[in-house]
Amino acid sequence: MRAKKTIVVILLTLTLGILISGIITTYAGELGGKEQAALDITIDTKDLTGINLWIVEMYNNDRTLYAIVVTMVMATLGSVMAFGTDLILKYFGMGVGRISHSE
Amino acid sequence: MDIFNIYLPVAGIEFNVLLLVLIGFCVGVLGGFFGVGGAWIVTPALNIFGFHMSYAIGTDLAHIFGKSIVATKKHSKMGNVDWKLGLISIGASILGVEGGSQLVMALEKVGNVGFIVRWSYIVLLLGLSAFMLYDYFVVRPAENKASNKDPEGKTKKKKARLSQRLHKIKIPPMISFPTSGIESVSLWIVLAIFFVTGFLSGFMGVGGGFVRMPALVYLIGCPTAIAVGTDLMSVLFSGAYGCLTYALKGRVEIIAAFFMLLGAAIGAQLGVTAVKYIRGYGIRLLFAIMIAFAGISVVIEQVYKMTDIQIYSHIAGVLVIGASVIMTLVICAKLFLEARKEKRLSMEH
Repeated sequence: MRAKKTIVVILLTLTLGILISGIITTYAGELGGKEQAALDITIDTKDLTGINLWIVEMYNNDRTLYAIVVTMVMATLGSVMAFGTDLILKYFGMGVGRISHSE
Repeated sequence: MDIFNIYLPVAGIEFNVLLLVLIGFCVGVLGGFFGVGGAWIVTPALNIFGFHMSYAIGTDLAHIFGKSIVATKKHSKMGNVDWKLGLISIGASILGVEGGSQLVMALEKVGNVGFIVRWSYIVLLLGLSAFMLYDYFVVRPAENKASNKDPEGKTKKKKARLSQRLHKIKIPPMISFPTSGIESVSLWIVLAIFFVTGFLSGFMGVGGGFVRMPALVYLIGCPTAIAVGTDLMSVLFSGAYGCLTYALKGRVEIIAAFFMLLGAAIGAQLGVTAVKYIRGYGIRLLFAIMIAFAGISVVIEQVYKMTDIQIYSHIAGVLVIGASVIMTLVICAKLFLEARKEKRLSMEH
């Protein structure tokens, strides 16, 4: 139990470290003027409606928020699909448990 | 098929949603089964179908992050993730990636870095494939023959010979990995191995799953299924970083990544489940075939760079996509046949 807790703490710290280093390295380039061209893309919104308009407005106005939304959507969808598809496969008799590793 | 076309506002192109789900599904099966991110399949696929290269890379990394959550969770349930080994691999790999990218910067000053990187990539893919095929077709039958003659020698074939030799190097501190069945190995050896795999990954600008997985098997001595699961755990972290950093640069097409992840999540579940039926050496054989195709594809891409004849670039892309689709079908067919057999046997009992 204690080992599991330690692993969870290490994982959370690593995740946080990765996220922070991602933001720092990106904005370090921006502050130095090197990544400016890459960050400066603006998309025309005139023909867009609904969710497309919402995504592009976020993309144009707040790139950090866009990056956080993208990462959160991928993490949430990944987690939901992990549990959902697992249940479906189990229903069809393709559930799994621990396997032996002899080769 | 036009009714399935959707507009991708960030990439600024129309794209068939079924194609996105299908690409995601194929790379999900392969990623879950081989323990790799699969960027070497998705990036050329998206690029061929109209994505700009930087959007192809960013979108691919975003969906890899989501997909590796699915695959790592399932592998963990099957006892295929060595968390301790995985965490060490992440730390050492980061240093290695930095070293590799520094070498690229140094070579850039000399010039022609692209040529050196591509040929290193080709040598690594084809060399690794040849080594694994040699192990499967030559070393393994010889070991089986020897162990049949001498049943006492059975313990020798549990680990690859190279890993046994590395385990004998006793430089303290020594460390054990009970999940992987490794009693004692020098921490320095483990760090050095992951530093080198990270270095190769940074030097060639790839995720590195296809280098790390064989390294875990042949150098560390992990059982193949644990190598696959542990490697996917590392992919999860590199995918999270890649997703965030590319999204900050505006190079992730969120709608495309969403649909690819839908396909990839289902594919990854099937790919991981297939590990239950296609064991150790079977995984290694299919992996060796897959990276051989990837290597040949890079050779053809290199011919395109030298001749500037566009058709070579298309052949290279089609080859790697075709090989991925066929490999996906092989894995799925094997999975369904074995699952049906298992169900029949359980009903008989």
